[in-house]
Amino acid sequence: MMDDKIGLEILGNRFQAIVDEMAQALFRTAHTVFIKETQDYGAVLVSPKGEVFAASRRYGVLMMVGMPMDDAIRAMREDIREGDIFMTNDPEATGGMCTHLNDVYLWKPIFHEGRLLCFAWTFVHMSDVGGRVSGSIAPSSTELMQEGIRIPPQKLFREGVLDEMFLKTFLVNTRTGDQNWGDMKACIAALSTAERRVGDLIGRFGVETVSNGIDKVLDYAETQARRVIATVPEGTYRFSDFIEADMVGQGMLRVNLALTVKGGEFHMDFSGTAPQVRAALNLPSFSKDGHWMLITGVVNWLCTREPSIAYNAGLVRPMKVHIPKGTLINPEAGAAYGARYSTSHKVCDVIIGALAKAVPDQLPATDSGQGSILLVALPDMETGATKVSVIQPIVGGSGGRPVDDGVDGTMVILNFLKNVPTELLEREMPEILIRHYGLREDSGGAGRYRGGTGSIIEFQTFAPYTTITSRNMERYIFPPAGRQGGTPGTTGYTLLNPGSKGEKDIGKIDILEMDVGDILRIGTQGGGGYGDPLSRPAQAVIEDVLDGYVSPRTAEALYGVVAAADGSLDAAATEALRAGKRASRDPLKEFDFGPVRDAYHARWPDAMHDAISEATQDLPRLQRQMYYRALYDRIDRMIDAGESVIAADVPALLAALRSAPRRAAG
Amino acid sequence: MSKASSRYRLGVDIGGTFTDMLMMDEESGQMITLKVPSNRQNPEDSIILGLSQLAERFGIGAKDIVYFSHGTTLGVNTLLERDGADVGLITTRGFRDILEMRRLRLSKANDLFVPRPRALVPRRRVVEVEERLAHDGEVLIALQRDEVIAAARQLLDEGVKSIAVCFLHSYRHDAHEAQAKAWIHEAFPELYVITSSELWPQQREYERCLVSVINGYIGERMRNYFDTLQVKAAAAGMTTRVFSTKSNGGVMGLEAAGERPVETLLSGPASGVIGAGFIGQVIGDDKLITLDMGGTSVDMAVIDGEVPYSNENTVGDFPVLLPAVDVSAIGAGGGSVAWLDAEGVLKVGPRSAGARPGPACYSRGGTEPTVTDAYAALGIMSPDGILGGEMKLDIDKARTALATLGDRLGLTPEQTADAILQVATANIYAELVPQLARRGIDAADFSLLAYGAAGPTHVFMLARELNMRRTIVPPTPGTLCALGCLVADLRADFVRSLWLESSELTDELLTRTYEGLRREAEGWLSAQGVEVTRTYLIQSADICYNGQSFELNVVFPDEPLSVAGLERWFHDRYEQLYGFADRANPIRVLEARVQIVGVTGKPDFTNFRPFATISDKPVSERRVYEHGKEVTAKICQRSTLTPGTEFFGPAVIEQYDTTVYIPEGFRVTVDAWHNLIGELLK
Repeated sequence: MMDDKIGLEILGNRFQAIVDEMAQALFRTAHTVFIKETQDYGAVLVSPKGEVFAASRRYGVLMMVGMPMDDAIRAMREDIREGDIFMTNDPEATGGMCTHLNDVYLWKPIFHEGRLLCFAWTFVHMSDVGGRVSGSIAPSSTELMQEGIRIPPQKLFREGVLDEMFLKTFLVNTRTGDQNWGDMKACIAALSTAERRVGDLIGRFGVETVSNGIDKVLDYAETQARRVIATVPEGTYRFSDFIEADMVGQGMLRVNLALTVKGGEFHMDFSGTAPQVRAALNLPSFSKDGHWMLITGVVNWLCTREPSIAYNAGLVRPMKVHIPKGTLINPEAGAAYGARYSTSHKVCDVIIGALAKAVPDQLPATDSGQGSILLVALPDMETGATKVSVIQPIVGGSGGRPVDDGVDGTMVILNFLKNVPTELLEREMPEILIRHYGLREDSGGAGRYRGGTGSIIEFQTFAPYTTITSRNMERYIFPPAGRQGGTPGTTGYTLLNPGSKGEKDIGKIDILEMDVGDILRIGTQGGGGYGDPLSRPAQAVIEDVLDGYVSPRTAEALYGVVAAADGSLDAAATEALRAGKRASRDPLKEFDFGPVRDAYHARWPDAMHDAISEATQDLPRLQRQMYYRALYDRIDRMIDAGESVIAADVPALLAALRSAPRRAAG
Repeated sequence: MSKASSRYRLGVDIGGTFTDMLMMDEESGQMITLKVPSNRQNPEDSIILGLSQLAERFGIGAKDIVYFSHGTTLGVNTLLERDGADVGLITTRGFRDILEMRRLRLSKANDLFVPRPRALVPRRRVVEVEERLAHDGEVLIALQRDEVIAAARQLLDEGVKSIAVCFLHSYRHDAHEAQAKAWIHEAFPELYVITSSELWPQQREYERCLVSVINGYIGERMRNYFDTLQVKAAAAGMTTRVFSTKSNGGVMGLEAAGERPVETLLSGPASGVIGAGFIGQVIGDDKLITLDMGGTSVDMAVIDGEVPYSNENTVGDFPVLLPAVDVSAIGAGGGSVAWLDAEGVLKVGPRSAGARPGPACYSRGGTEPTVTDAYAALGIMSPDGILGGEMKLDIDKARTALATLGDRLGLTPEQTADAILQVATANIYAELVPQLARRGIDAADFSLLAYGAAGPTHVFMLARELNMRRTIVPPTPGTLCALGCLVADLRADFVRSLWLESSELTDELLTRTYEGLRREAEGWLSAQGVEVTRTYLIQSADICYNGQSFELNVVFPDEPLSVAGLERWFHDRYEQLYGFADRANPIRVLEARVQIVGVTGKPDFTNFRPFATISDKPVSERRVYEHGKEVTAKICQRSTLTPGTEFFGPAVIEQYDTTVYIPEGFRVTVDAWHNLIGELLK
């Protein structure tokens, strides 16, 4: 009775039960804040070939289906025995399975009568794995060696026996050894659960059914994904966006994509993307097809199109990737990776942008692009010890959607983030007073469907030497784009001592020291709007004004909606205003990036970016990084001086730079 | 039935489709079950209808009822359907968006089109006032009367029916909230005002604020309903007081329920678990996994000695901070629709045909095949249906609906139905097993107890997958929630947030805190004005290691309170759960909790007789399809099964409120209290 069409669903459900049970076992026994509050852990089942055939859709990190495990398995190929448990955190030795050192992976082969059936697999984000800063991650780190201890794939347990020397060596190299071991034990508990349950499943359905079932559920997901992809008009769709790396002295880093849809597959060519940088923004994807940190946008799109879609690596089989070596998203060995989330999110934005050109009504406008966690560290003035706490995750609004307004104050892509009650924070950190925590009014882009508003947090410190850190701040220069006639959202801002004489606009922060009485105010980005604002029902605009999501001025200027003195809709005035606007305006834009980015595009056309990438592509790594930056700086000065520069000039400019004395470069 | 006298206890559970009634004769132990259609507009009318049927059919008058407790979904439906009263909120300057920001997290993953959450109070009805307390109660900004009055007036102009007041840190320092309430009350005596600290003084401003807002949102409708019910019940001749069930599995008088309707939100599922726990107590089995499967939902809970509580409950997208019986939703029930995806793979749910149009075999216009249609087509459910034939099933309609899928699968309607049940079972299994892991238990140590209209129909199929040693189907599984209403005790919870490290705590402070909670609890119980046979307090605290965010609720043993004792109890409990404890690590006491229980008189169950009449209808047989083959199943009437009866599957037990299906491979015995006890044969 395990006929394909029925057996598939039954086995799929049973596999799902195993990974959910693993996740629960892990969550219940792990004890660190990363696990509990940010759900930064995962549990999956992996085929002998290294494909994830079951992953939780509810607990932990939800994007694990595209985790490439083949190289990690290959690394141990010769010697896999029953009772072994493997461990690694090394992005380079695992071909991009690990993407920064804080994510530590443990996995266990599952055998039946001597035959390797599959692997149970877990990871946890450890609070610290050593390195130059507490917590191991700093955007300003320039190389991997600064980010902690590296564990290439090796055995933690050999046929059931713990390698205590290895364990001790690992733990002693981290600042949170006891906690790390606690989290590792939680992983081991989850792996044992999986082993037992796979055994039960074999007892119930037989080993052949289970073994074949692994292949079948993967093929099933692939078939589904291909069918959904085949609904997208074939063609090549281009999109690019920029990581604002000015904070680490790297200017704008371009992420460039040509998405070709053909034969039920996505081919994603990232040529023209900026070279890797001497900062922790590099994403070690190893150009693996369907890599999970590259394809968040498309997997979300598939699951939105088809909520019941099978959730495993079959989904990513049709997602082919080409990324030149040495770029930000396929760096050469030794780069720093800690803060790769910003980069991953930008890749997601770029893919959504490209796909939106093909199927405009299936994707949202751009979201805030910032998934940052604001941390505060205070010294104990008596003992000198440091207290650290999360103030809040600082994320902005979602983009407007073809079916609904954007979500206010958070991003759909980062749905799992949870904030901290002010009461809890002030109790834990009495030196910090939260003065304001709420939505940032009037910040969402206008549209038929409004962009979600950003948020505001304002706090004051009463302690000297208050240190604030925040990684992954983004979109302080280019706002989230509007789509299909929707207007852009707003950029983020950071104000020190707002409203006082000493008010300072300090932009994105990496590390900031505050003094007694200082006030910091952060406004996050509103998402882009979707669709023509003049077609938003006037009453809906009035409701937004009454609730303060939108100001009366924006209602008039962007939506053409006029309120009467009592706040109700002035239908006649609105009708007239909207008619006037419709008659006089420019055609609606497919993407509206806002004036700042439009000006940047005018100065830096795509052809220029492409030419610079192309010219520097084949240089050795350090030269490529250096001359790439130098070319931008040189051309910038030429434009400022009123000289005309075109893409065709780039090779000659590069040659001139290379022949000049090194001192003159840049 | 003997002549009526004042000796009947009545439990009523008002559900979406049916109102379940369970009447127990205190003298004989005999029980009567009755299901009447629910009236969504006027829920009390279904109770009145039931009372008249009890009088007509069994000769029991309303005046003969000595105890009446009931649960209603009115509150939870009002909230889920967003159909409540306009509430205004007054809050601390800078925190107008307390409800908008929520806890940020969204309900659905991997969904770009997840609906935008809508706050229960729109921003226009939230007004900030200048005031601020520090966490330790220090007044940073004093509250101004003018501003409070202006805020209330502004909200009244917006048309609000009630006002909630929530200021930061009021969980420990309620002076500003209390002052604001007093001023508003003075200026607008008619207006209903409630503060967050008086309802549930726990740290976490969003969740606490929400409790007070929900209370206002559902309050007016609930109070109107309670008033009407009392009037109509009195008119029907009922002289006893009316009780309402609570999310914590207890009951309270209607006066208390009208004040704090938010405490009833999760009472439906809670009552079922209380009923299950009661059955467990009667038969001496206190390790139960409960499975409640109805037309639109499947719920589970674990009773491990005690009925379990959770402080992290949700209704729709709203967290509810109040303690509730820990029940998890794990599926969509008998109304779940079966369908084929584009690859032709058979899926069951999550969409449900609900009560309307319902399964095809209900003949209410449904045409899509559901799990219930599969039961009908396989011969598991009789064409006479349940409710003594009041709810007939059209088997042809079920087969027609199934054929639409079967034709595409290349299967007969029976094979299709069989496949649907297997997929449905796998669905429930996949939801249930992780819930067991969350609670850290092994199914092998537990019995599976099924109730709800479809629970007994499906439970043995699930028991086989879970390899359960024992499966229990209570005598009246379709009305177990009503049994829970009937046997529930008076029960109330009280909390005070401490958030202190053990070094900051003193024995004196601990004693004072728990004294205060105890006085509050005892005050509540005496205000209920009910005679109880016994009163007890459960004192506990939520404690964690300093610097960690995993907290444990530690119930205190019967010893004098001391900080040292608290530390020891925590470490012991921690070690018991996780196998190790770091006794050198300082602890932090978060919430102090007291639950008071007033045990109500229980009927004597030595004469327990669940069935009014023992019918002498003969045992028959029916063809049933099972795993692709036709077998002959014994058909028995539940009411004919006397204690000690033993039989083997395949068998179908028909009864008033459900159908029990026992597949091949199980032995079933009838115990002394008429429970069916199933064992999987190896």
